[in-house]
Amino acid sequence: MSKLIRRSITDSVTFNTIKESRFKTTRISVTAFLPLDITTAANNALMSLVLTRSCEKYPDFTVLSRKLSSLYGASLSSGFRKMGDVQALTFSISGIDDRFALSDEIISKELSTLLCDVIFNPFLKDGLFDINECEQERRQLIDMIDAEFNEKRIYSSQKALSIMCSDEAYGINRYGTKEDVIAATPQDLYTAWQNMLKKARFEIIYVGDSDSSMAFDVFNSRFSEISRTPSVLNTQVVKCAENVKVENEDMELSQSKLIMGFRTEIAEPDEDVMAVRLMCSVLGGTAHSKLFCNVREKLSLCYYCSSSYIRSKGIMLVESGVERENIEKTKEAILGEIKAMQNGEITDEEIEATKMSMANAFYSSCDTVGGINSYYLSQMLDGTIYTPQQAVDKVNSLTKEDVVRCAKKLTLDTVFTLTGVQSLEDKEV
Amino acid sequence: MHISEIKSELLNEKYYKVKHDSGLTIYVYPKEGYSSTYAIFGTKYGSINNAFRVDNKDVVRVPDGIAHYLEHKLFESEDGDAFSRYAKTGANANAYTSFDKTCYLFSCTDNFEDSLEILLDFVQSPYFTEETVAKEQGIIGQEIKMYDDSPSWRVMFNMLMNMYHAHPVRIDIAGTVESIAEITPEYLYTCYNTYYNLNNMVLCVCGNTTLDTVLSIADKMLKKNEYHKIENIFEDEDDSVVSPYVEQCLPVGLPLFNLGFKEKAGKKRPDVKTLACSEILLFLLASSTSTLYRKLMDENLINASFSYEYMEGEGFLATIFSGESHDPKKVATIIKDYIQQMKKTGISEEEFEIAKRATYGDCIAALNSTDHIANLMADFYFSDREIFEYIDAISDATLDDVTDRLNNMFDIEKSTLSVIKNAE
Repeated sequence: MSKLIRRSITDSVTFNTIKESRFKTTRISVTAFLPLDITTAANNALMSLVLTRSCEKYPDFTVLSRKLSSLYGASLSSGFRKMGDVQALTFSISGIDDRFALSDEIISKELSTLLCDVIFNPFLKDGLFDINECEQERRQLIDMIDAEFNEKRIYSSQKALSIMCSDEAYGINRYGTKEDVIAATPQDLYTAWQNMLKKARFEIIYVGDSDSSMAFDVFNSRFSEISRTPSVLNTQVVKCAENVKVENEDMELSQSKLIMGFRTEIAEPDEDVMAVRLMCSVLGGTAHSKLFCNVREKLSLCYYCSSSYIRSKGIMLVESGVERENIEKTKEAILGEIKAMQNGEITDEEIEATKMSMANAFYSSCDTVGGINSYYLSQMLDGTIYTPQQAVDKVNSLTKEDVVRCAKKLTLDTVFTLTGVQSLEDKEV
Repeated sequence: MHISEIKSELLNEKYYKVKHDSGLTIYVYPKEGYSSTYAIFGTKYGSINNAFRVDNKDVVRVPDGIAHYLEHKLFESEDGDAFSRYAKTGANANAYTSFDKTCYLFSCTDNFEDSLEILLDFVQSPYFTEETVAKEQGIIGQEIKMYDDSPSWRVMFNMLMNMYHAHPVRIDIAGTVESIAEITPEYLYTCYNTYYNLNNMVLCVCGNTTLDTVLSIADKMLKKNEYHKIENIFEDEDDSVVSPYVEQCLPVGLPLFNLGFKEKAGKKRPDVKTLACSEILLFLLASSTSTLYRKLMDENLINASFSYEYMEGEGFLATIFSGESHDPKKVATIIKDYIQQMKKTGISEEEFEIAKRATYGDCIAALNSTDHIANLMADFYFSDREIFEYIDAISDATLDDVTDRLNNMFDIEKSTLSVIKNAE
């Protein structure tokens, strides 16, 4: 099921195929991994957006969009994210399988060629990216940065991570800084593009029913034209917190947010990563977790209270949305649940139920084309790449002792609160 | 029991539609090779159903937010909650309430039969006491407050409040902190007994399962429900909008907008043809391939968050354009001018063909996903449509049909703009 076959193209460029006949679409993604660096992050992010806007063959956004629509609504997109102290730029294209075409086009061939065109043959004017193209994407990226502030759940967890990792590369936003986005020139973007082709580690992931060998050949020939010196990718792991950083921000909101960041001591490629995933899930990863059952349901303190584990960095975040006067109470309740785990207060039922829901998530993630792509992409920097079945076997081999052992390693690093003030209630008082 | 097999030659797929003796309609869409199965048990009952009449008796009015409150409370029973029962099967369970339906769902890769039993059991086993009802007010109160802080939620409801004079689609799905304080076990039982009748419900299953498996569990878990006629009562809704503009200040990095066009709606929901033509029209009008999108982008007025939606249900029909912009008023003016212009010049054959292909491709691609299929089957059942008929309607659509939609969907006089911005 959803088996991954890896074929090397050249140094640090790998073509991954997952042959699947269950779906009606094919998806090809190309991810470039580069060190997350404050001097290049903004340029890389903006460059990735400019690339999927047009290409030499379709030198205009609307012309390219129409080409995609005529391929039965094929979609082309790019994005950037952090995976540990690494910036990952992903370019992907997807479209329906050849067998559903209303006339006899070979859609899969068009998809791989088009994706290569945008990555390797951008639309250039006098050897540089077109200034108008850059301006459009710059404006949109700045809009996106500004709009990230709109949803306070996302804003508060990002803020907590930036406080927690202020001395690590991970503290850098995935798009660098707004100032650097504003300052980036067409020359900077050209340099970033060249740098990516020469220095990034590339993972190409092909998910679909049609033969991937043609796509392999296309990528193989494009990469053979480039002389490459791939960068080394490293992620710094802070094993435990020395002291607790506490920060608060007041905002005109009706609900407050409480975010607690913990160091877990364990990060990729440590053998114990799966045990920490299980521990984190027992704590607050499901609707039968300790945080959900006790902090939400029994104490009725919040609508959401959950935990997540960033395995590349060995960080666990606990997030909740609470009434301002309940912040302290909720914090104590969360710490109480962690203490209970450290004392071994975990039932066999809790462990079994969490294992089952993790198994369910691993298996289900591979029931969509996008899911398979994300499932494998997220593991590309890990020590070992697991199939869903291998991941399930790994989880099932763990014991309560493993969970308790991992819980004991938790140290609280950061508490960030976004406190709602001047709500309607305040005015009435 | 009546079983019909519904086939698509084009997709080489089929599903079954069953009228079970209990009164429940059951859809089963088997997906070969999938490891997961997704099941939804839903009732045609949502936030807009705050006044109703059963078997021509007296009209009953209930507090706002009850459908959503019921959704929360049904998870609880005398001996523990449904989540803890699902914990033993490994299924991933959830529920949601929308304007016109409440759905309970799970997805699983193992123990499907056990999970389906749990689903059918807990939704059919209401248990409400003064104490458990009161307890939920804390959690739902926090949920309402979370949405009060959400600019994208507020911008939509402010728009709906300004578009509808009387129709309850203008009221927040969860109600308000005040309205939920009025909810009692009696209200919950009244609504439950009215709308959670199997004749008013649907079960949709898609994925790694068979018709026989689903039916054997259904036979075991479902008892015959007597049919009762349910009438949803809505006050008369004027064709006009309440006002053309509304704004609210919230802490945002960039203003958000919703521009809505109100269309005359009846009790009956649009058929597959109308729906297909509306989607094609919206694609050619406002997708990233369109001239309008390009113009708004070139004038730096929108970004990739720009989107559109055709929203429809019993008694409401609206087209909504939404996004982020430094100048929402200008965006609204350009969209309206563009629509007027298109009404004059008509739609080109090329634009139409591209839009039709893209809409068709999107629809096919969506059938990869078991959750999408199950949700769509539920929604389509409640609106009297079938999935494969909808796909056929897209490929059968003509330029004339779509032009017809253009003339009916957009009345500039019946549009309203909602904006969320930062306080000055």
